Amino acid sequence: MISSVRTPTNSDVVQRRSKSKSYRLSYRSGLGAASRLCPTPALTARRLNTSRKAPKSHNITEKVSPEHLGLLVKTEWQLSYVTPLYRFRHTQLKSYSRQLSAFIAAEKQQGLAIEVERPQSSFRVSFSVVQGMVGADDDAESVLMQIHSRPLFARQDEPQQLVWKGWLTCVNGNPEYLRSLPKDFTCLPLLGSSGPEALTTVVKLWFQQTFDCCFGHLEISHTSLQWLVALWTNCHTECGIQHLKMNWTLPVAPPLQVTYTVDPQDAWVLWSSVRKDKLEVEDEEDNVDIDEVVRFIRGLKSHFYRHFQLDLSAGCLTQVSTALGSAKHSGRIKISNSRYMITTLMLLTECALLKMPI
Amino acid sequence: MDESTKQLLQRLVRRIPAQMLRATLDKWGRLTAEQRTCMDFTQPKWTLTEKLLDIFEENGWTMKHLTELEMTYIIDNPNQGMWYALQLMDPEDDAHTVELTQLKEQFKSHLSELVRPVSVKIKKHTDEAIWIRIAWGDNFSRPNHLKPTYVVHHLQTPYVFVMSLTSKQKPLLYQALVLSTRYQAIKDANLSGRKLTAIRDVLMRQYQQVFATRYSSPLAEINLPDSNPNIEREEAEIAANRLQMACEAFGDGTLPQLQTAVYKLETKFRDNTNKTMTEHEAPFRCLVKFASTNLLESFRHCACSGIASTPVTPLLSSILLKGRNHFVITDNGPGLASQTQQSQN
Repeated sequence: MISSVRTPTNSDVVQRRSKSKSYRLSYRSGLGAASRLCPTPALTARRLNTSRKAPKSHNITEKVSPEHLGLLVKTEWQLSYVTPLYRFRHTQLKSYSRQLSAFIAAEKQQGLAIEVERPQSSFRVSFSVVQGMVGADDDAESVLMQIHSRPLFARQDEPQQLVWKGWLTCVNGNPEYLRSLPKDFTCLPLLGSSGPEALTTVVKLWFQQTFDCCFGHLEISHTSLQWLVALWTNCHTECGIQHLKMNWTLPVAPPLQVTYTVDPQDAWVLWSSVRKDKLEVEDEEDNVDIDEVVRFIRGLKSHFYRHFQLDLSAGCLTQVSTALGSAKHSGRIKISNSRYMITTLMLLTECALLKMPI
Repeated sequence: MDESTKQLLQRLVRRIPAQMLRATLDKWGRLTAEQRTCMDFTQPKWTLTEKLLDIFEENGWTMKHLTELEMTYIIDNPNQGMWYALQLMDPEDDAHTVELTQLKEQFKSHLSELVRPVSVKIKKHTDEAIWIRIAWGDNFSRPNHLKPTYVVHHLQTPYVFVMSLTSKQKPLLYQALVLSTRYQAIKDANLSGRKLTAIRDVLMRQYQQVFATRYSSPLAEINLPDSNPNIEREEAEIAANRLQMACEAFGDGTLPQLQTAVYKLETKFRDNTNKTMTEHEAPFRCLVKFASTNLLESFRHCACSGIASTPVTPLLSSILLKGRNHFVITDNGPGLASQTQQSQN
């Protein structure tokens, strides 16, 4: 599972890396260990939650600064999972900014025959804590990274532009797992990045070398997309979703793309009809069950089938979008309304924890 | 030579792929043998543009000549945008006698009565199709040759195909078409696609037609292997049946290449397992769009492979039968723009 990283020059690092094999912990191995002690089979624990809280409109602007929110919403992010970071300190962000700037500059200069005549580094990295973007007390605070740079042929006095941004977050991570981590590990399992692929690679490389973690591509599974269909639809009464749009790809030759757009009000009526009859007692937690999600999707598919005699189950749900955001199977997500951001990030944190290698 | 001619020439040369440039210029037929030999097609496009600009200047050619060149190129390469089909309705008694010269004259005069200034160029192509290029202007501006509308009409048919027509220009074109073709009305045929020949073939039924009798005995040709004859036989029967149904709906030949089909559904939600929704009176509103590089081919494959149940629903097969790819489906009779009625049970 050790990714191929150039041999570090520093002997300290070498030593630490060799130790890290035993340190590198993941969600699944942790739960696997737990399952030996308790009767729950590991397999069930490894699945996505089958029930989750109905999204409530969080007045997130009270907790997270509008400046940070502005950077987070309305951007399409490519998701990756990250294994726990070794000796990551939220207090060291200034120093990380400097280190990463230097690292990027060094990577950029590799292979250049002539010394680049730039007195100061052309990349300015800034790390910052996004206060308040958490779901529970066990979650580590989210970190936002921004890379500014001056275009190649720009004059010296031109302002630097934001060329890459990314964030690391953990929203409602499994508390059992988070507590089982040794104290030197910080778990921020979800990385969202937006900017040139080359920079993403360099940033990942630096994290791998500095915090002994590894990254992997995070796809948004069919089930997670279905969850989003339901969770987003559930928000319609509080905040109009405008449309519920789903894209399917059917495996025929040539491939058939189906775009199924449902009127938001009608989607909501269908959604409420498949909700379990909640007891009249005012439940403090409004939970959504996977059964309800399945019934909702089945309803949508059966309406489609009744007209076209085409079975959408034969294909793959590839994209979901509403006014709240969009999510693609390839692991790209866009959040357009910050009020329901926490719910979406919660689901994605869970996906990231599950996807981590053992 | 004015600025807009220059601009259009530059744009046109840029648009025509390098390997087609010589053929297009030859076909245009304006260049003398000497001028043709002067053109070195191995040179970059901007040098060729300069050369052509000089030739235009020398001969005193204008926009008129240049639009000819553009039409020559577009006629040979019509798949440059979205084509929409229109259908003429209620022919006058003399509609079938309309011929090119008459149409040309009438169309030009009618259109310039409606909008001025307008620049119209009409050309007859070999396959009986009349090509019309319209550059629109308005009271304050000269015709914009950079954004022309293309119209294709086949004489003695009620079909017209248009490319890049804005909603503002639509009524003007409709009126000029109706008057000059001797029909009384025109409507949107609800068919569009990137391939002009494909949508023309769909409307004029120029694809391999389906005859149910051709597939009367699908089992005759299937050789049954010995291994497990009963199972194999049953499976083969089902597969053959699916294939037959698929072919009955879409034929077994090459299909016209359509890219999309759009259905606006406003039908009641019926599901035995969902009482609440079945009792809900209002229709369930949704929009379904199918897209593929060859949509009908994809549908046929769906039916053959069992992803679509057979027999193929009339909703899908009516793309070919009705020659349209835009439908509004309602429960009770035809909807606003629909002639497709669903039989539901």
